Amino acid sequence: MKKISVVSMMIASALCSAVGAAHAETIKIAIAGPMSGPVAQYGDMVAAGALTAIEQINAAGGVDGKTFEAVMMDDACEPKQAVAIANKVVSQNIKYVIGHVCSGSAIPASDIYENEGVLMIAPSATAPQLTQGKKRSLIFRTIGRDDQQGPAAGKYIIEHAKPKLVAILHDKQSYGQGIATSVKQSIEKGNIPVAIFEGINVGDSDYSSVITKLKVLGVDFVYFGGYHPEMGLLLRQAREQGLKAVFMGPEGVGNQDVAAIAGAASEGMLVTLPADFSADPANASLNKAFTDKKRDPSGPFQLSAYTAVKVIGDSINATKSSDPNKVAQYMHSNHFSTPIGNIAFDAQGDLEAFKFVVYTWHKDATKTVAE
Amino acid sequence: MSDLLPQFIQQLANGLTLGSIYALIAIGYTMVYGIIGMINFAHGEIYMIGAYIGLVTITAIGVTAGYPLPLVLGGALLVSVAVTGLYGFAVERVAYRPLRGGPRLVPLISAIGMSIFLQNYIQIGHGSRDLSVPALVSGAVEFKMAGSFFDITIPYSRVMIFGATLVLMVALTLFFAYSRMGRACRACSEDMRMANLLGIDTNRVISFTFILGAMLAAVGGVLIALAIGKLSPFIGFIAGIKAFTAAVLGGIGSIPGAMLGGILLGLVETFAAAYLPAEYKDIVAFALLIMILLFRPTGLLGKTNVEKV
Repeated sequence: MKKISVVSMMIASALCSAVGAAHAETIKIAIAGPMSGPVAQYGDMVAAGALTAIEQINAAGGVDGKTFEAVMMDDACEPKQAVAIANKVVSQNIKYVIGHVCSGSAIPASDIYENEGVLMIAPSATAPQLTQGKKRSLIFRTIGRDDQQGPAAGKYIIEHAKPKLVAILHDKQSYGQGIATSVKQSIEKGNIPVAIFEGINVGDSDYSSVITKLKVLGVDFVYFGGYHPEMGLLLRQAREQGLKAVFMGPEGVGNQDVAAIAGAASEGMLVTLPADFSADPANASLNKAFTDKKRDPSGPFQLSAYTAVKVIGDSINATKSSDPNKVAQYMHSNHFSTPIGNIAFDAQGDLEAFKFVVYTWHKDATKTVAE
Repeated sequence: MSDLLPQFIQQLANGLTLGSIYALIAIGYTMVYGIIGMINFAHGEIYMIGAYIGLVTITAIGVTAGYPLPLVLGGALLVSVAVTGLYGFAVERVAYRPLRGGPRLVPLISAIGMSIFLQNYIQIGHGSRDLSVPALVSGAVEFKMAGSFFDITIPYSRVMIFGATLVLMVALTLFFAYSRMGRACRACSEDMRMANLLGIDTNRVISFTFILGAMLAAVGGVLIALAIGKLSPFIGFIAGIKAFTAAVLGGIGSIPGAMLGGILLGLVETFAAAYLPAEYKDIVAFALLIMILLFRPTGLLGKTNVEKV
């Protein structure tokens, strides 16, 4: 009996030390976002950026003698699932999270991370509520906020589009409604009248009654706060009814699928996107690292996700510690040179400056800077 | 002011076409319920599968190959109806037949399970992204009313749905009234055991019901996918809920009821979105559903069931 317990203790301690050794070698980074579901594109973009960064850092010898290990976490962009994922991250003792991709999931998940000592960098969640007034130390983002994106869209509408009557629609979710509200506020300051401000249902297939309403009101400009599946249908059904208006949306509508759904009707849609950093000549070799792995670097979130991983890596190297609290402290007080420029975080964890650019979308899913 | 009437007519057309989308799916729910008294919650997913098979067929034939439109559309409908019918048959054999005669809740849960299974199965096979459906049927009926500047536009693809729903409803009503199989279905609906004693192969009748229900869903899937232009593995859920609501509203078990319920739901949703802020659309539609069920618990055209002794 005694012998067995001694042997089993030895085995157990051997196992423990093996596990312990593995822990010392790698630092796990969870990549959390929709890997499935209707907006999985954005999960793919973030994953492409984060994985490229992790591979490059590991190839260069890792950080502080350790290597990064990516753990994919699928929240399907659903707030409920995001909370479950956050708990899973905590229970697996993962200390760094890149994500969550959607604002609606990032907000509830961030509460858990802050309490449990997990450092989170959101590379794509733009809703202000993620950081606004929360005085947290472990939550960051490497993207602008809707209240920066909204005024950028508003400024363009006032100065360049100059419409006579605007309709603002949104999808009733934190991201869509938030940015729609911000756009409304900024164009009302420019004395452009807003005819209606209404929410539509995500997942509906028919918005023709709303389109007819817009046609009746005679709007010549429609801003939609939401994601591409609804935008695609709005564009398509607007064309079917002969509504002649310019459509504009936030970066959530700016991907190839909007052109697939709306076809020719997507020609001329306006989108506010983070500046396309992949076009920056300084990032040429980075672009090659993406394309070598058959990943596309040109979407809105690839380089912000890459930057998020790089910032964590740089901070771990500088502090010689993988303790998230020390890393966060370092992040708050230093500048970082990254593919999206020289960046610094403010006290809330937001970027101190971030630039959105207005693009014109074309039916072949390409984009050009709008004038 | 003279634009008010054309606007109303445009919204009426929007409502009718949305309503016939609901009705086309609702017919399948109501038919299965009418014959075996079971709510087939997987019907929404069968509709989604029908749409996917239609899209695969259209892609295989090739939109740019220059075949005439009726051939492409007819081919897609035919293949989709045939394959989806097989799905309907298989679902009944695997998930419902072994449970028949058990407590009523058991097949219901099995149906919900089937629905989740089918959704995930398509998601794995085709990915969860939105697929675009080529606009095969383009163009629209357009006209102006005298003295008005407002164009009324009804896309042909939607006129087609309305027509198909109408034709299918009439055909099914006639089929159940006059054909041999239709009579057998009605006999099973009245009393399954008695029908069996009188020599009707009830298993065959039930299989037939599921195949026919799936075929109707396939027609709906292909036509609606062409009109909407986008397809994802999740369309079945919301479409299923709305169509089920329409079937209950019209009186579940009644085929003209499904049509009436679908059109009514479509009209109410459309007018609520048109004349109130669009957010109130579902509130108005479902408040109306509750009101109608309070006064007519069996739905608009539903029969009151007399408990047989």
